[in-house]
Amino acid sequence: MKLILEKNMKTMIKITRNKVALGVLVTLMSLTSCQDYLDIEPKDKLNSDQVYRDVFDADAVVVGIYGKFMGLAKKYIILNELRADLMSPTANADMYLQQISEHAVTADNPYANPKDFYEVINNCNDALKNFKIMVDENKMDQGEFNERYSDIGTLRSWLYLQLGMHYGEVPYITEPISDIDDVQNENLYPRLSLTELINELVDFTEGLPYTSPYSANSTLVIDVDGYNTAKFFINKECLLGDLQLWANHYTQAAAHYKTVMETGSTGADAFYYDTYRVIYTLPNTVDIGIEYERNQEQDVRSLISSNSDGWRSIFAREQDARWNNEWIWSLPFDSNFAPQNPFIDLFSNQGGDYLVKPSQEAMDLWDGEAQRNGFSYDARGSKVSYHVINGQPVIMKYLFKYLDTDSNLPFDVFQTGGDWFLYRAATLHLRYAEAANRDNQHRIADALLNFGLQSAYTVDGVTDVTDIEQTHQPFPYDFDARQGDFPFFRGPWYRNNGLRGRAFVERAEVLGDSLTSIENNLIKESGLELAYEGNRWGDLVRVALRRNDPAFLADKVYEKLYKDGNPKADEVRSKLMNTDNWYLPFVWKEDE
Amino acid sequence: MKIIINKYSKAIIASLSLLAVVSCSDPWDDHAKSSDENLKQNLAERLTSIAETSEFGKLLTETGYDRVLANTKSYTVWAPTNEAIAAVPASELDNLESKKRFVSNHIALTAIGSVSNQDTVTVQMLSNKYLEFIDGSVMDGAAVVIADKYTSNGLYHIVSSALVPKSNIWEYIKSMNGSNAMSTYLLTLDEFNIYQTDSIAKATAEVMPGIYSDSLSNSYLKNVYNLNNEKNKYTFFLLEDEAFNTEVGKLEPYLIKSNADSTTTYASYFNVRDFAFHKSVAQEQLPDTLVSRFGVKVPIDKDNIVEEVHLSNGVLYVMSTMDVPLETRLLTTKIEGERPTGFSQSDKRANTYYREKEDLDGVAFEDIMVQNHGVPLFSIYYRASDLYSTTYKVYWRVINDIQSNTFQQRLRIGGWFNEMGQFVNEIATLPYTDVVPNVYDEVYIGEFYIDQLGSNNNELISLIAANSASNGVNTLSLDYIKLVPVIK
Repeated sequence: MKLILEKNMKTMIKITRNKVALGVLVTLMSLTSCQDYLDIEPKDKLNSDQVYRDVFDADAVVVGIYGKFMGLAKKYIILNELRADLMSPTANADMYLQQISEHAVTADNPYANPKDFYEVINNCNDALKNFKIMVDENKMDQGEFNERYSDIGTLRSWLYLQLGMHYGEVPYITEPISDIDDVQNENLYPRLSLTELINELVDFTEGLPYTSPYSANSTLVIDVDGYNTAKFFINKECLLGDLQLWANHYTQAAAHYKTVMETGSTGADAFYYDTYRVIYTLPNTVDIGIEYERNQEQDVRSLISSNSDGWRSIFAREQDARWNNEWIWSLPFDSNFAPQNPFIDLFSNQGGDYLVKPSQEAMDLWDGEAQRNGFSYDARGSKVSYHVINGQPVIMKYLFKYLDTDSNLPFDVFQTGGDWFLYRAATLHLRYAEAANRDNQHRIADALLNFGLQSAYTVDGVTDVTDIEQTHQPFPYDFDARQGDFPFFRGPWYRNNGLRGRAFVERAEVLGDSLTSIENNLIKESGLELAYEGNRWGDLVRVALRRNDPAFLADKVYEKLYKDGNPKADEVRSKLMNTDNWYLPFVWKEDE
Repeated sequence: MKIIINKYSKAIIASLSLLAVVSCSDPWDDHAKSSDENLKQNLAERLTSIAETSEFGKLLTETGYDRVLANTKSYTVWAPTNEAIAAVPASELDNLESKKRFVSNHIALTAIGSVSNQDTVTVQMLSNKYLEFIDGSVMDGAAVVIADKYTSNGLYHIVSSALVPKSNIWEYIKSMNGSNAMSTYLLTLDEFNIYQTDSIAKATAEVMPGIYSDSLSNSYLKNVYNLNNEKNKYTFFLLEDEAFNTEVGKLEPYLIKSNADSTTTYASYFNVRDFAFHKSVAQEQLPDTLVSRFGVKVPIDKDNIVEEVHLSNGVLYVMSTMDVPLETRLLTTKIEGERPTGFSQSDKRANTYYREKEDLDGVAFEDIMVQNHGVPLFSIYYRASDLYSTTYKVYWRVINDIQSNTFQQRLRIGGWFNEMGQFVNEIATLPYTDVVPNVYDEVYIGEFYIDQLGSNNNELISLIAANSASNGVNTLSLDYIKLVPVIK
């Protein structure tokens, strides 16, 4: 700079006085408005040519999409639970939550706005398009591409399945678009019916090049901030199973589910007998079932229920071996990072807004069960899934890391960590059983629902188990649950105890037609076991559509509203008897 | 440089003049200026200067409340007109203390306008009384003549009659000391402890005078309702002497203590405790029966109301007769099995089951069961408080549902362990009773008689297992025990 200045000074002396002023101005301009200054790149934004340069950029995109995806957690729970029969709005809830619960949603209802789903979908589309360019330009290898492309592709299918079950007819957009509001334009993006959408999703997702979880040496599977990322990502086989189940392709669905159920059998899993197999509880070991202290089953206060032991610990335990045996897909919220955990405000009446609560229907459902010790309820209900705090029923699954259940006060109001529960072994077994039952494998379905494969296939008094305690069927219905000492057998499924076995409740009896009765039992069990994990609306819609029986859904919603004393119960029931009225309006205001 | 200025001076002058034009006015100052004369005075200045409340203004100056109303907080004053002040009984204003009390009953430390979305606003006055401001037009019975006049530190309403501070129920009872037997008795409970724990409470009230201390200073205020509390409303029945003595006399045979004075004291307590009720109930809305907090159904005969006294925390009815029949007065004691106070030995937790089950009709119940403990005569302890000196019929409900054999257990009433570890002074031990499997009925198991109540009247009830170490035989189980007093 000094040099330029000196040079200018020398020139100035030579020119006339009138031009001095101009010279000063020009010098001033050249000093302040240099080109580099105008062209400097923003430090907190990336340009399109700065991402998608190598596999680490691709990883950042994947993680970024999941981060954005977590912003849908609250909406996911509200739509899937409050529209169904197990969750009710509290007196604190605003009119929009009431509308969701009463199936009378206005166009301005923020919970019904599908725009944020499409924002994530658009991110997925952008990533998918660029991943293809990257592999073409050799910026990542085929193996890396397969894993990432399939992951984001499957996540997009999951998002579309959600949209389909809530909005009925939605546009299926697979290319990135610049203006998200165009999604609403039916001329640009025609809408597919739910059936058409599911067929598209099955075609696309089945065509993805990779279906396993990220390999253990992938750059995306790491420990970060105390969390292992392996279970952050959607399980592709599970979603494939779900899609095939929605498409009523039962054998294919069962095959996908069974692949996941056999996760323990592949590779060198140290928990060969335990991973995703819904195993029995043993006295004096840490388990994730409903369990009482040894020989004290008659004592209510001996229920083992803490953040580290018992069925409750599924929702609160550290990411240890038992956690890994159950959880297939779960994303953590941490108070130190965005996005913020939305569930404390939603559920807690201590330091939260307490907007939703368990419906009376849900509480009656648990109270109507009987435990195998003669207690007249299902401990998964009032002992875990909800607690009565200060006279108010509070949904607890999301609060165990936040509330001290002895004092019912927050451990620390600023520690608002928690989890978004998306898929676990119980979900998997229920869905598999639903597919198997429809595929005429009633006995297997009933065994997985009730007390497990071994007890369903054993023969009393026979000690040589060589030919019993197994299904003798080909994949995906092959189960070996043999447990014998002379000769010695330990089949991979010998520890399976069934979902009701693990929950310590009496078996769900099959009354009348096996197919219908077991399916009813499975959907009921899904309510008891998976309540408030965001599966209910999908369960009801899927089965009601399959049976072509809108009453299956309408009656359950009616029961909820009726028992909550809602005068609109009858009106809502008759409305829901028409499947067209199941769906939310597909609109949003463009400037939002 | 001179040349440059010459050359460009026109432009510079033009821009300078533009700046001058833009920045010469100051709209913020204009905005903040107030032209409202009302806001130039505070409440004290206003109320002492206007003619229609000059008498109240004098009282403000005299009591020093004019300095309070000159504060920068927000106040509301319900200022009585001069005529209203003239109508106030002289006794209310006979010394500085009562004048302060009077004035402070017209001031609230909040701005309360006459417009509200509630029809009744309960206002805490500086006198610590809670007055009701109804529809913005009536304050504690006084009509608002002029509403919503504002000043720099709050507003005032002018009311047509003075808000003379009322006593509360407890103050009223105190004022009746000596002239009414029931009031006199209630005040003796300042000294006398009905329960042992009362003495601790009274000691606490003395060392820590504070917000709760008045509720602890008298056995009645502690055990029944704190009638000194301005924040709640109560209904209280004060009996005339004859009625009071009749009711006490009826209860005396059931509260026999070691001496007659003691008997009368307790009979009086169990009498008066049923005459206070939560919430203020106006005479026209009085039902024919009220249920006391102890569960006694008290019949109300409006014809017997001698006087209805409206007090700051509720209503007090003076009654010529208040006949509560013994059938409803003597309460059945129910002891829940799952709430024991102790066990004969503390190492059997693993054999002790607190259960939540259903009977054959699907009705839920909670109970306790102690099984396989291996100790002959293992016992579970309960407490039965406030038993009467009379015969009791004993019922229990015991469920034997996880065994196939019958077992036996018995009840022992009263007694304690002396220093030697021996059990002494029991009132009765009922015989062993069979507990047959899968019977869910309430069963009569016998009766006992209490001729004289102990000093504490807090009896130990022991549920005792069979004298056997065998599992299945020495099981204990209990849903509940019912002790039903018999009318003599």
